[in-house]
Amino acid sequence: MSVWTRDRRRDVHSDHHDDRSSDQNRWSHRRKRGVDGSLRTNKEAEASDWEKGSYRHSDNRHASFTTPESAGPVSRCSHQADWGSQVEDDEMRRDMHIDIQRYRRRILGTDVTQRERKTSSGSSGSSCDSREGDNMETDEAVLLRRQKQINYGKNTLAYDRYIKEVPKHMRQPGIHPKTPNKFRKYSRRSWDQQIKLWKVKLHAWDPPTEEDQDKVLDNIEVLDLDDVMDIELDFPTLSEFQNAPVSTGSLSREGEECLGTPVKIQKTEEPDTA
Amino acid sequence: MESSTEDYRIQSFDLDTQVLLKTALKDPGSVNLEKVSNVIVDQSLKDQVFSKEAGRICYTIVQAEAKQSNGNVFRRNLLNRLQQEFKGREETRGRSLQEWVCYVTFICNIFDYLKVNNMPMVALVHPVYDCLIRLAQADALMNEEEVDCLVLQLHRIGEQLEKVNSQRMDELFFLLRDSFLLQEGLSSMARLLLLEILEFRAGGWMLSSTAHKYYYSEIAD
Repeated sequence: MSVWTRDRRRDVHSDHHDDRSSDQNRWSHRRKRGVDGSLRTNKEAEASDWEKGSYRHSDNRHASFTTPESAGPVSRCSHQADWGSQVEDDEMRRDMHIDIQRYRRRILGTDVTQRERKTSSGSSGSSCDSREGDNMETDEAVLLRRQKQINYGKNTLAYDRYIKEVPKHMRQPGIHPKTPNKFRKYSRRSWDQQIKLWKVKLHAWDPPTEEDQDKVLDNIEVLDLDDVMDIELDFPTLSEFQNAPVSTGSLSREGEECLGTPVKIQKTEEPDTA
Repeated sequence: MESSTEDYRIQSFDLDTQVLLKTALKDPGSVNLEKVSNVIVDQSLKDQVFSKEAGRICYTIVQAEAKQSNGNVFRRNLLNRLQQEFKGREETRGRSLQEWVCYVTFICNIFDYLKVNNMPMVALVHPVYDCLIRLAQADALMNEEEVDCLVLQLHRIGEQLEKVNSQRMDELFFLLRDSFLLQEGLSSMARLLLLEILEFRAGGWMLSSTAHKYYYSEIAD
């Protein structure tokens, strides 16, 4: 692909230009119908999203960088993309198919066990799953886009700290963020909103700024010997208190050490959620 | 650890670069991976020995980076450098046959080693074919260097290439057959190499024992 074409594309969609085509895209991407009144297909909607948000200034983005609420850089015209992107996209697609198979198997598994256990012996599993097999999102383009949005949320320091601090079985619905399930059918708006809210919730686990760190250090210095002795006495034994909730704040170091054990009892509830 | 680093054939680099590469293998996050990929590509274009095995060190660095930080910086840079060089390949060939041959060897080696979910990288399939078909053109077949490179790559990755795109492999072999039969001025070595590769593919990417005896009986293993 010629350098010229690439530069032209970049100019059209760059932030610095307020030209008509980017305005049109900004308007048209939320529209269900095109100019002539016909319903726009998913693909067209996708294309304008890509055009709106996909200019890439640098390919070397740090892994913890979160993007604004666009679908992220998606190359739609693979024959024009650089090889690096082509391979990454291909890899995502392959991983996606593996994901789909795994999810289907899991759904089927729940389905079968529910039928077999007519007189249930207690565990019912998540009942909505068996119905999900029929109503699962399978559109590859949609799944890929959703996965990219999820990846942007997960590639953050906040997410890292979150999963280290709160094991899955400890999660309380409503309080603890939960990764949206990309295999469920949702409207575009509903999905985007779920992602937005999820990422907002994750911010609660953002790493402390330098100011916060100074405050923590001050608190530590203030501890005298009695306090230290108290800490040791209160320290739960691993066998008794595997489920001890972690306290944040100046004694966060103590909490982190409790986290070694819970990993064993983490259940894998949903595919691709942590 | 030392013996495996030797497998990467990095002895031809200066000592500082060797240290850089060794660090990249162990702790990719601590080095500038873009620089590392450039260093590797640059050397591959100069050093025929290294270009034949550079894929291995690249593979290891890619794995290490993915494991350490789920990152792709090295691979992305490597591929984009490859793409750059690919665009300028005709000019490279005009400038230096050796560099061109090194490039083809290198890109084929990368194709061989760097897989995605155990599948070859889709982006490289057509470029590799383009390079091999270039080597099968009349002017290239007059140079033993290029014929030698062509048959070496086909021995190493021909079978894989055919699996991902048999149509282009047919296209390549039509050229080779025609050239073998019709092209005047080919050296006898070139003809021998072509005949061997024709038989090799016809035999399902291997030589029968009798054919092997014919072609290789006088060469020490």
